[in-house]
Amino acid sequence: MLETVLDIFDNFWVALGAKLLLVALLIPLIGMVIGFAEIKLSAKMQARMGPYFAGGRWGWAQLIADGIKFFQKEDIIPDNADRPVFKTAPMLVLVGTVALFVVIPFGPGLIFRDLSVGIFYALAISSLSTIGVLMAGWSSANKYSLIGGLRAAGQLIAYELPLVLAAVGSVIMAGTMSMSGIVEAQITAGYPYVIFQFVGFGIFMVAALAELTRIPFDMPIAESELVMGYLTEYSGFRFLFFFLAEFANMFTMSAIAATLFLGGYWLPGIPTETLEFVGPVILLAKVFLLAFAMIWFRWTFPRFREDQLQTLAWKWLIPLALANIGATAFFKVVL
Amino acid sequence: MTSSPSETTTHPLQEYADLVAETVGGEATVAFDAIKVVVPLDRWVDVHVTARDRLGLVFFSWLSAIDWANEVAVGDPPGETVEERFELLTSLGDVTEGRRVTFSATVDKTSPVVPTLVEVYAGANWHEREAHEMFGIVFEGHPNLTHLYLPESFIGNPLRKSFPLLSREVKPWPGTVDVEGMPGIADDEPTTENPEA
Amino acid sequence: MTIDADTIRHLSEVSVSVELQTEDMTLNIGPQHPSTHGVLRLVARVDGERCHDVQPVIGYMHRGYEKLSEVRTYPQITTIVNRIDWVAGYANEVPFIVAAEKLMGVEAPERAQYIRLILTEMARMASHLVFMASYPLELGAATPLFFALRERERVLDLLEGVTGGRFHPNFNRIGGVKPAYGAGSSTRKMIQDLPAGFLKDTRDAMGRVLGVCDELEDLVAGNEIILARTKGVGILPPEVAVSYGVSGPNLRASGVSFDLRRAESYLPYESFDFDVITGENGDCWDRWWVRLQEIREAARIIVQAVDGIPAGPLQAKVPKIIKVPKGETYVRAENPKGEMGYYLVSDGGTGPYRLKIRSASFSNISVLPYLLEGILVPDIIATMGSLDFVLGDVDR
Repeated sequence: MLETVLDIFDNFWVALGAKLLLVALLIPLIGMVIGFAEIKLSAKMQARMGPYFAGGRWGWAQLIADGIKFFQKEDIIPDNADRPVFKTAPMLVLVGTVALFVVIPFGPGLIFRDLSVGIFYALAISSLSTIGVLMAGWSSANKYSLIGGLRAAGQLIAYELPLVLAAVGSVIMAGTMSMSGIVEAQITAGYPYVIFQFVGFGIFMVAALAELTRIPFDMPIAESELVMGYLTEYSGFRFLFFFLAEFANMFTMSAIAATLFLGGYWLPGIPTETLEFVGPVILLAKVFLLAFAMIWFRWTFPRFREDQLQTLAWKWLIPLALANIGATAFFKVVL
Repeated sequence: MTSSPSETTTHPLQEYADLVAETVGGEATVAFDAIKVVVPLDRWVDVHVTARDRLGLVFFSWLSAIDWANEVAVGDPPGETVEERFELLTSLGDVTEGRRVTFSATVDKTSPVVPTLVEVYAGANWHEREAHEMFGIVFEGHPNLTHLYLPESFIGNPLRKSFPLLSREVKPWPGTVDVEGMPGIADDEPTTENPEA
Repeated sequence: MTIDADTIRHLSEVSVSVELQTEDMTLNIGPQHPSTHGVLRLVARVDGERCHDVQPVIGYMHRGYEKLSEVRTYPQITTIVNRIDWVAGYANEVPFIVAAEKLMGVEAPERAQYIRLILTEMARMASHLVFMASYPLELGAATPLFFALRERERVLDLLEGVTGGRFHPNFNRIGGVKPAYGAGSSTRKMIQDLPAGFLKDTRDAMGRVLGVCDELEDLVAGNEIILARTKGVGILPPEVAVSYGVSGPNLRASGVSFDLRRAESYLPYESFDFDVITGENGDCWDRWWVRLQEIREAARIIVQAVDGIPAGPLQAKVPKIIKVPKGETYVRAENPKGEMGYYLVSDGGTGPYRLKIRSASFSNISVLPYLLEGILVPDIIATMGSLDFVLGDVDR
């Protein structure tokens, strides 16, 4: 009986449909879980209660209610806006996030598509959302949005490089660019790569924060300076797309970091046979640990200034990342 | 210009007031712990340069004016007849001893033109714009003599005594009606509290 | 191939025009903007992130208090002046009342003066705690807001306990402070003093406020990003500050040790032990730091005042209808924002002939065009916020 059910998934189209459905449900779910964690954790850090009434207990339904509210709102597009671009931008941002789920290994074989250039694909796709942000800023016909969009573009250029260079260290150690290959290499080696790649891990996390435009790198939004940056003119479900993409992006970026540096779905001491079942749980635990760190930073730090961010990227992170690659390559060849 | 009890005995500020008056060339009065020096308008800028450079009154506190008028559109007219004029005031201080002097000059109401102090005290810029829109005093040489608070299309100079308070034209101020006494206190009973509050 | 002189000249001209052509953008910051504390508007000409020529536009909250006070009686005016700097409403009343008392030749009893002093320092504390809350928020750190406002609420609770109002106490009377009447006919003449337990509650609250000062110092002063954002930004030299009339903590942050609590005698500050805090560089960081220290000094003053408050009446004898004799005077006070003063001209009536209100924020933000010349857009917000202004205090 089970086999006949599984046989259905051998059909390419059925499998594709099932995977798409899974992603379509997974992203709002993950976005909501992380979003809710952020709301409650920030409340805890600020001696507040946070949402309390929605859903009857702990305000668990708060974000569902918010989502419904966003869909009820009027879809407002400014008169002077570049309408097609304005409408496409939020979708592009969300597409970038969805596409990242393709290469994240949740367990041995539990991956939507194990590309041989997985990490390369992931880093390339992750910059897609910045183009969406730039489009949003440009098309809004608002000076604050424009400045926000251009800041996002400047940030992208500055932080794509350290992000890629930091990932290279793990790729050299694993000898493969396949995401599941990197995890398997760590299982074979018996230790997560962060032990030797701690510099790379640090750079990757800093660059990921900048990529996600979260505090301390949220200059494209910078509500005290630019009102809401590129989001200023968005409302209703288009705003919801950005909102959802932000939290889903937190998940994917943390998942990539966990895969590259923390052993992905594997923990030392866990028998490899059980990974098919506990693997996703381990990965999720690692992802939420990293997401918690991001939330913690957000509610502790102020934001940098644009020129300080560029200085940090070009004068510190990139040279450091290059030195890390050199050292990794040296030890790889010598040892 | 006012009769105050402190003028009869020598006020502790009197000595300093005389020094200021002598240095800038004006008449000093000390009343209610405040020094006021009346100076001629044609030496207005000189007086402030002298006060700043020789007396050390570097702190520019404010600049404003008083419209002395016998006929007023709202409020009470002055108790006794006054000379029709604008009185231009600046308040300067130092930041060491805590000294403070008010300089005063008479400005003609028909042609209220005054040289600007912006070159002497940068802070005079906004205060002169305020006095310009509120009293209609023209500050010659001011870099940007436009309205400060009110829209540029606003007509009239609100702080002139001849300027009516529009809302009072429509309806008398309700606060002028007699206030009821506090509960439990007879009206003729003397209290230490001010009943109007 | 030969190149003649004309071609070379032509080529050199071409290369000049290859340079990137940029165009200034006029950016309206405000009147509705998250960081303008109400309705301040800045018209900035920006070239990318660099801005030159910033012009503040004010007046969106002009309420004409100077004109209004010409048609009101003296006791009514205290309700108006409460609303000038509403973050420290109580502190605005004191110089006005002292000016009127001076002209009348009345002096408030010592106990009333101590109560005024305690409440003024509480207002200073409340105002500075609002700054402690809002300034990191302008730099992007949201959390200090809640710590600072939590303790500010305790200070406001105390103020409310005495005066009945959190923001607009309207508690001063000419000749003293407002006495409260006991309920019921038998106690109708009983004049209620400070609420029961006020002095003890105040001591407790001061301990908590000092605690939050330490917390804020950990959270903000220990943060490298805040230091990078504020140190060396928006430097205000002392000579520029005095010529613009910048006063209060902003002046002291520039290194000028001048405090009207020491220089003037509107309240009995001379019998208290406190330090006048000064900064070194006059940058945003110093303005933050000076205010933090002033909260601590205010707590010191309040504890001393609570310990040494004398017994006695709350009101001097004044006539039932207040009429102020002819005369004019200027009384200035060290308000949380700086020098607050009233030039009171009386012609013997029940209301002033002219009341010039000198508010601190007005002069403090008039220095903005100087401070914001040629700095980056994020620094506009950092510098503007560090001046700690309230629009009601600017526009009056």
